[in-house]
Amino acid sequence: MRDVRGDVVRRQLAADHGLSVATVRSICGYLIHGETPSSAVAPRVDDLFADPIIEHGLTNTMLLTTQSFATSPDAVITVGFKPGVTDNPGKAATDGFLTLFPNDPDARISTYLTYVFYGLPQDCDVHWLADTLHNNLIERALVADRSECHAKSWPELDFPTPPEQVFIEPQAVDLEVDDARLEAISNDGLLALNLNEMHAIQAHYRDEAVRAQRTSMGISPNAPTDVELECLAQTWSEHCKHKIFASKIHHVDHETGEDSVIDSLFKTHIMTPTHDMQEDVDWLLSVFHDNSGVIAWDDTWSVCMKAETHNSPSALDPYGGAMTGIVGVNRDILGTGLGARPIANTDVFCFGPPDWEGQLPENLFHPSRVLRGVHAGVRVGGNESGIPTVNGAIVFDDRYIGKPLVYCGTVGIMPRTLPDGRPSHVKTPVAGDVVYMVGGRVGYDGIHGATFSSLELTEESPSSAVQIGDPITQKKMIDMVLEARDSNLITCITDNGAGGLSSSIGEMAEYTNGCEIDLAKVPLKQAGLSPWEILVSESQERMTIAVKPEDQEAFEALADLHEVEATAVATFTSTGMFHVRYDEATVAYLPIEFLHDGVPQLQLESEWRPPVLPLFVPPQNADHAALLTSMLKRPNIASKETWVRQYDHEVIAQTAIKPFVGVERDGPGDAGVIAPIHGDPHGLVISCGIAPRYSDIDAGAMAAASIDEAVRNAVCVGLDVDKMAGLDNFCWPDPIESSKTPDGRFKLAQLVRANRELERVCRAYRLPCVSGKDSMKNDYGSGPNKISIPPTLLFSLFGDHPDVRQSATSDFKFDGDRIYLVGTSNQELGASELAFMLTESGVAEGVGGDVPQLPHPERNLGVYRALATCVRAGWVRTAHDCSEGGVAVALAEMCIGGRIGAVVDIDGTGTGDVWGRLWGESLGRFIVAVSPEHESAFLEAMKGHPTTVLGQVRTGMKLVITDADDALITADVETLVDAWKGTLDLTGGVA
Amino acid sequence: MVPRVAVLFGFGINCDHETKAVFELVGAKAERVHVNRFVSGEADLSSYDILAVPGGFSFGDHLGSGRLLGNRMRFAMRQALMAFVDAGKPIIGICNGFQVLVKTGLLPGPQAGASPDFVQRGSLTLNDSGRYEDRWVTLEFDPESPCIWTKGMERMECPVRHGEGKYVMPSSEDLDRLAKQHQLTVRYVDPSIPVGKAITDEPLPYPLSPNGSMRNIAGVCDATGLVFGLMPHPEAIYARWLHPDHTRRPGTVSDGMDDWEGEGLQMFRNAVEYVNQRT
Repeated sequence: MRDVRGDVVRRQLAADHGLSVATVRSICGYLIHGETPSSAVAPRVDDLFADPIIEHGLTNTMLLTTQSFATSPDAVITVGFKPGVTDNPGKAATDGFLTLFPNDPDARISTYLTYVFYGLPQDCDVHWLADTLHNNLIERALVADRSECHAKSWPELDFPTPPEQVFIEPQAVDLEVDDARLEAISNDGLLALNLNEMHAIQAHYRDEAVRAQRTSMGISPNAPTDVELECLAQTWSEHCKHKIFASKIHHVDHETGEDSVIDSLFKTHIMTPTHDMQEDVDWLLSVFHDNSGVIAWDDTWSVCMKAETHNSPSALDPYGGAMTGIVGVNRDILGTGLGARPIANTDVFCFGPPDWEGQLPENLFHPSRVLRGVHAGVRVGGNESGIPTVNGAIVFDDRYIGKPLVYCGTVGIMPRTLPDGRPSHVKTPVAGDVVYMVGGRVGYDGIHGATFSSLELTEESPSSAVQIGDPITQKKMIDMVLEARDSNLITCITDNGAGGLSSSIGEMAEYTNGCEIDLAKVPLKQAGLSPWEILVSESQERMTIAVKPEDQEAFEALADLHEVEATAVATFTSTGMFHVRYDEATVAYLPIEFLHDGVPQLQLESEWRPPVLPLFVPPQNADHAALLTSMLKRPNIASKETWVRQYDHEVIAQTAIKPFVGVERDGPGDAGVIAPIHGDPHGLVISCGIAPRYSDIDAGAMAAASIDEAVRNAVCVGLDVDKMAGLDNFCWPDPIESSKTPDGRFKLAQLVRANRELERVCRAYRLPCVSGKDSMKNDYGSGPNKISIPPTLLFSLFGDHPDVRQSATSDFKFDGDRIYLVGTSNQELGASELAFMLTESGVAEGVGGDVPQLPHPERNLGVYRALATCVRAGWVRTAHDCSEGGVAVALAEMCIGGRIGAVVDIDGTGTGDVWGRLWGESLGRFIVAVSPEHESAFLEAMKGHPTTVLGQVRTGMKLVITDADDALITADVETLVDAWKGTLDLTGGVA
Repeated sequence: MVPRVAVLFGFGINCDHETKAVFELVGAKAERVHVNRFVSGEADLSSYDILAVPGGFSFGDHLGSGRLLGNRMRFAMRQALMAFVDAGKPIIGICNGFQVLVKTGLLPGPQAGASPDFVQRGSLTLNDSGRYEDRWVTLEFDPESPCIWTKGMERMECPVRHGEGKYVMPSSEDLDRLAKQHQLTVRYVDPSIPVGKAITDEPLPYPLSPNGSMRNIAGVCDATGLVFGLMPHPEAIYARWLHPDHTRRPGTVSDGMDDWEGEGLQMFRNAVEYVNQRT
């Protein structure tokens, strides 16, 4: 039998490091900590730990000492988890052990993997090898080198027992100190509170009424307890409160002479436009205030969507960080309204170049390792949860080495009304309802995630901020929660994410204006956690759910059935207070109003001067065919198939347009389309747009391009443009001017411009933003070595598709189909993929110039409506968005998908010169193909919209592009396939 | 009579909704039943006519796919399962469900005429590629198989979505025995070979065989033909709009499924008709 686990390691070492190893073998190890004697375990090995058909299993004997490993290996590396780190296989093994040995209920199992190397090159450092196989933040590795193997001195891991936690009684923190000390308290405690905020807290405890009330509760009258200070730090964190988006900004524009004040970017440019649009339509059910935005999809069902980022944890532990990201956003859906069912995921990643050969800053992983880890985390999180990944993107830029961006989105569905008649999108808690913590337990992991993500990444970033998700615990919880919802048992539900119980119960307590929590009731992973740690720990897989007292029994019975832990930890009140006890002692007593509205508004400075970049000037002469092959190999354009194919994109049997289209099912899908009600072709479109490099010229143009791309992608498959909603996810470098960020004013001006364009385009497209998120500290280090990401907006879209049977895909289909360009190609090559490529190769001086603009979005909407109508009428079966790499790359991808050729003339397609028309990235463009029988109907429908004939689809596997009489490109489609599919296949094949 | 179908769920099974739906589309009454409702006795397996173990990641596939859920069934539902099989009622396991049935020993099961003995005879292990993949494959069915689920089916396209789908048995004699009894019900085939001629014992290259299964085996049945499991997902092509090629082959558009029924639905209809004819 083949040792596939070993083979994977062997191939990966070859692919990533060019290291050739003859054979790698693997051993799965289980350390059992329990009462059952090993003599009882031994006869059951094949029942649980080893597969009798394909594996050897032994107890209390190392397999390395057996005949199977008679030849002395060149190296042995054993990798296990550090104490306290989530060990999912160990958890499953423990569960399985209990099935066999029900009388040993406290048994625990920890797992490890041993890799055995043969034919290792002599000069290979085994400790370096171990480093490539484990992450020392969360794992431990033991190594036996050649001589130790020869001496049969095998590495042996002990059972990982977490260190004793010391329970510390809540203590008062004296804030009657000078400002320097106040700042030190914040910095030393990782509280991420600025001086102004520390003053606001200090002032609260000087209030005589507050002091009197606190005296009566028996809690330190004139100083916060550590529990309170931590709770305020979490609730007031940038992560939870979005202080930059809520700030008052003094904005100066040196281009226009504008000097103005913006009172909250969020309220001005995101919330107000959506609320205005809410006046005009009846399908915007819930916007902004819940865990995701909800729209009515039909009379029976509503749908919701949310996207989140998990950047800092993914930088430290790509696998765990990303998995926590995807399962976390799934919980946002579960926590929407009275509980929605997650039915589709989207994943968008931004990484450094996978072939990066330059220096890496301290503590950062190579981009290829980040890619592998993030991908694996999202893959496991999504696949094991049974949620298809229907849409996404992977973007590369050098600056994401400093901080990768990991966007995870989830779409949910829920019946519009529950059996008892309550609308499912409205939470209905009342004082007296009992609050349960459901799912996982609270541990030391995940303390300070929210505040940590509000600080820049440094070499000392804490390991406790990293967690590993447990999709199966969560899946059980999701099954249970949805059953509870359908039994009318839930009055309020929310996710435990950033800030833990302090945020989840704290936010829900706003509904009833009060709560009383007993931290002593919270089940813990390990004893000894102090009250503040219990309150703010972000341990995963937990929901907070409120239940009427009379429903407690039924709720708990359901939890038992699903083997999900549910513990009553709090009660809603109407006292106006966030009241936290540990047993009888009050450990926090904060007014709800102060907790949620007490944070002082930031006052920030913004200053715009357009950046000056060397202009992109295309070369005089060029071999466009060679450029096309080079462009298709660019990581930003190349096929992501080997990565995306590892996501389940069609579980739930609803995915009508998949990430892969075309005859060989490897062409690019523009948007995902699902038909979630079985037997009914009514569909939902899910798409995204992202264009971070345009920020190099203008972050406003970047935002407009992202939104336009998301809409275009959705139009390609047949979206109803009159029913679409968007999500704005901003990832920015720190835009607050400081000694660490001397260019803060410029970065804030970029944010202002992006928000203004967001409002302008969304209003024109009648595209309400229903939910969003921002992540504002995406920098690494400081001083000259500081790396800041390019300002990045991910715009996700979900919208209606009346009938998925009338959709289009990007692959060219049949010989003789007529090819059209919809839209106009202008001379817009600034920050284009071509400009980056030619600048990197030294052919051009820079990427500056005209970045794609969206001058008349309302006209674009008319084009989009007309084209989408043609798709839904069945006249257009082939449509592809034209973006990175322009017309040339779009045509190539359409030929690749169809494994068919095309003859195209780009003459008359716009105002640009041949470079602009072939490679430019002007917005608002599509390439479509129409069968001759539908051509006249198509042209009639597109009347008045820019629609230019390009040519025809042709059998013969040749893509021929001319510009009137000038031959530009003649390319063999199979060559294009090879170029496009080669770059990012880092799997090392199957041999 | 409307046949009742128990669709198992819980612990990471995740194709329960669509598996329930496809049985309902062919006229059965299907219910999602949590494993623990059977274990506790709250639900009675014998009151159902068909049992489906859907796809998913029960217990995260840890310790080998299907192993832990298989153990729950093998140790906690043993009598009920034995009675169900002995009563001649159909069982299907899809993907993770197939892995579960193989690990419990219900598939390929003992010699004809014997009751289930819960002895594991084969296994499903890591794909040769080492990767979980979602990709469409072409399948062909053994026309002489006793399998009641695949009657009249010749060739089908549907997705595989697994990391551990390589079917193995200890010896070629084991495989010969199953082949002789036409229990190697469904195989991965090369779509360029004419229908009916494509089944081969010669290992097909990746990705025609997505996992490196012995003899390109995609699914097997027990000696009675009533218990059947396969790695690919027939329920994922219950409607033609789920086929990756549907924009190339438009059909008429009107209410209902019409000519949009997918090839996979026949498998579930076969079982429902089998139950209806017996009673």
